[in-house]
Amino acid sequence: MNASAAAPALAKEPRRTVAMRLADPAVMLAYVSFLFGLLLAFFPLSFPRMIVQNWQNARLTPLMILFTVSLNLGLYLRVAHQRASKPGIVASACLGSVPVFVLAALNFVLQATITHALAGNISNAPAQVDEEILAQTYFALFAAIFAPFLLIRLAQQFQKTDS
Amino acid sequence: MLALAIHEPTANWIAAKWLLWIGLYLILGIFVPWAMTRAWAHQHHSTMQPRLKELFQHGELGLVGLMLAIAVIWDLQKSQYSSHTIALGSVFLAMTGIMAGSVWIESYCRRSTGTRFTPERAWRDSRSLALLVFSLAIVSEILLDRFARVMAQ
Repeated sequence: MNASAAAPALAKEPRRTVAMRLADPAVMLAYVSFLFGLLLAFFPLSFPRMIVQNWQNARLTPLMILFTVSLNLGLYLRVAHQRASKPGIVASACLGSVPVFVLAALNFVLQATITHALAGNISNAPAQVDEEILAQTYFALFAAIFAPFLLIRLAQQFQKTDS
Repeated sequence: MLALAIHEPTANWIAAKWLLWIGLYLILGIFVPWAMTRAWAHQHHSTMQPRLKELFQHGELGLVGLMLAIAVIWDLQKSQYSSHTIALGSVFLAMTGIMAGSVWIESYCRRSTGTRFTPERAWRDSRSLALLVFSLAIVSEILLDRFARVMAQ
């Protein structure tokens, strides 16, 4: 009798898929943002030069993809571990693919911006182009980290509304 | 080499307007409201000594974040960056600002309707999202400062 009563209690409940909140990636993204700002403040010449050179060598986008995908997946797994929930496959796929699409799309936007800047008759066009690369790199980094979590959050909201 | 490494930041920090900008927001947006509650308590001989967490427990920091985002969007719109960069920056600032503001709105709706409300969660979410807006705003201001100097050359 005792054994049969204890059985349902001992049976493991299936772990729920982790529910993300936008505040979860917000802190991590804020730290990345502060780091970018600090590097700009302390190395105002060498850090932007490094970004521009990597962009010219076509290394910047792959590096950013690698960085954002690992950061996003690491953060997602950490939140899942903290809440004792299981990571979802769709969410993991979203975290792995959305940064790639976002960074590729924003790279095209940057190309368009540079073409537009160089086409105009501006006296210090190269310096202006460097600043545009720097600004758009920062915004692209921001978007690549935040967009997947925003999509996951929206999908969770829709699921909640449907059910 | 070392001299160059030291000279590089110091030359830019002297003219850094964004440092003043950070100070203004931290002092006027967070420290002054907190100091005013202390002053009020002192004036009314109250024993109340609210901490920042208690002062902003209904998600008010989210509202501060939204105001901050609006200010930086305005600065971006006035800048000479290309339209693509201005649009990107403005959209991201608006998105994060709205999300930060929504913490305060949700908190207000929950309290008004008697739905389950956790001040701890409202404080934590508003703090995280306000920090995000603040970091985005600081970097945007640094970038704007750099760009203004390039354009002035």
